[in-house]
Amino acid sequence: MRYTPRTQALRSALAASIALTVIGAAHAAPPAGRLLAAQCAQCHDLDGNGRGFEELAGESASEIYHELVEMKNRTRIESIMDRQARGYTDAQMRALAAYLASLPGGGD
Amino acid sequence: MQTLNRRKFLSLTAAAAGAAALPPQSRAVGARVVVLGGGFGGASVARYLRMWNPGVAVTLVEPNATHVSCILSNLVVTGLLSMNRINLSYTALRNNRGVQVVQGRALGIDTGGNRVTVSTANGNVTLGYDHLVVAPGIDFVPPPGNWNPSLTPHAWQAGPQTTLLRNQLATLGNNDRFVMTIPKSPYRCPPGPYERACMVADYLKRKGRTGATVTVLDANPSIQAEPEAFTRAFNVTHAGRILYVPNAVVQSVDSASRSIVTSAMSVSNAKVLNIIPAHRAGAIGASLGVNAGGFVPVDPLTYAVSGVANVHVIGDACAVPASDGKAVPKSGHMANSEAKVCADAILRALNGEQPDTNIATSSACYSPITSRSASWLSANFIYGDIYDANGGIKGKGMHRVDLGEAPAGEVNQDSYQDMFTWADSLFYDSFA
Repeated sequence: MRYTPRTQALRSALAASIALTVIGAAHAAPPAGRLLAAQCAQCHDLDGNGRGFEELAGESASEIYHELVEMKNRTRIESIMDRQARGYTDAQMRALAAYLASLPGGGD
Repeated sequence: MQTLNRRKFLSLTAAAAGAAALPPQSRAVGARVVVLGGGFGGASVARYLRMWNPGVAVTLVEPNATHVSCILSNLVVTGLLSMNRINLSYTALRNNRGVQVVQGRALGIDTGGNRVTVSTANGNVTLGYDHLVVAPGIDFVPPPGNWNPSLTPHAWQAGPQTTLLRNQLATLGNNDRFVMTIPKSPYRCPPGPYERACMVADYLKRKGRTGATVTVLDANPSIQAEPEAFTRAFNVTHAGRILYVPNAVVQSVDSASRSIVTSAMSVSNAKVLNIIPAHRAGAIGASLGVNAGGFVPVDPLTYAVSGVANVHVIGDACAVPASDGKAVPKSGHMANSEAKVCADAILRALNGEQPDTNIATSSACYSPITSRSASWLSANFIYGDIYDANGGIKGKGMHRVDLGEAPAGEVNQDSYQDMFTWADSLFYDSFA
């Protein structure tokens, strides 16, 4: 299996991030923005193991939101994210950015 | 007949997750979710249910020991990757996420009794559920004539069929003909057949097969995805090697002689005949009721099947309400996206809450054009009003708010490398 986390340290880090998520989810409603932010995880690492494109966890909400706005408004399409950013409303971008900023992680 | 009882089930999953991680106030703790099918949709929903609430017991039922990814499989057909590269194990879901993986085939769903009967190597097992997620992928609608996929492979479900088509392609000599069909939409992976045509043409060039060609018999009136990239690829990049024939509806197939009759063109004795038949929902999904196209209509907020309590269908087997002409594509990436919406809705339902309405789904993919360059495709959907062809509101569903392909300058080597980053990340987000 190629995609198994490669070291015990990584597994521990994963377990820690899961535990944090669970504590956050102990109340009935899931954290705001979690589901929207999960739609970034196909391509972006949200749990600190270094896979995918630019790591988002650890960036500030403001950084992530403003990057998304810049990409959404870019008239000359340069990358796939210039398109993907068009898939979210302003309120959705703020919500997912706030959630991503709450995750542990190094950022890029 | 043996029954995996709830206590044994809980002890297994609690041991895997660490009992201390259980959320103390969640009413979802102890709930049982059974998932049928371990492709991108089924694996992702199992993974996210356990990540978001380790108190939920999740059983994943899958006939095969591993999943072989359709994503990147055209690179296996054309000898650029090994089968091992697209072979995805369930070990990480089992060991890292605490998913109970049962190798077996679902025989039937007792929707009134909330249980599924599964055929395994050790006999039949009955699994009770609080929620059931059905993610069986596709079955094929046999074309008219004498179609035999072991002679004229589809290679549209990866695995032995991928190997078979790879081996047949290897026999192609100078002036030989590779003929492939594309079914009417909707089918799995809209750019996939055009990608395959390009990669076979690239293979013929790399191998120096002079005069050998690819004939694409498309039942659709035009290229269904990335029209600019594939038109350029067919007319410029692979000029003289690809013959594209639209409106070619299959009328008869004879696999023994590798011959085909379509409404636009007939071919006798092709060297390789790659028949991709029309699709319908996988049988266990279809048993829940299908629309005229053969797919299972679902609620876009929960992926629940109307009139069947606590049963959900995700991925290629489902039909999501969408605006006319803006269908939700059937793809591994989209199945993963839908799985997250479904997992969130199930966890809310178990806690007595309403589903989230502020939801988005997406698909993104990279399509190799040659062994050094790739294009990409992006599609995004938001829940809300959906529209008929005249712009009138026809209901609620997933409305496509954006669709676009790589501009010409982005069909390049960087995108080819990004393809592997995307695929590996998606593999991880679904299976690890």
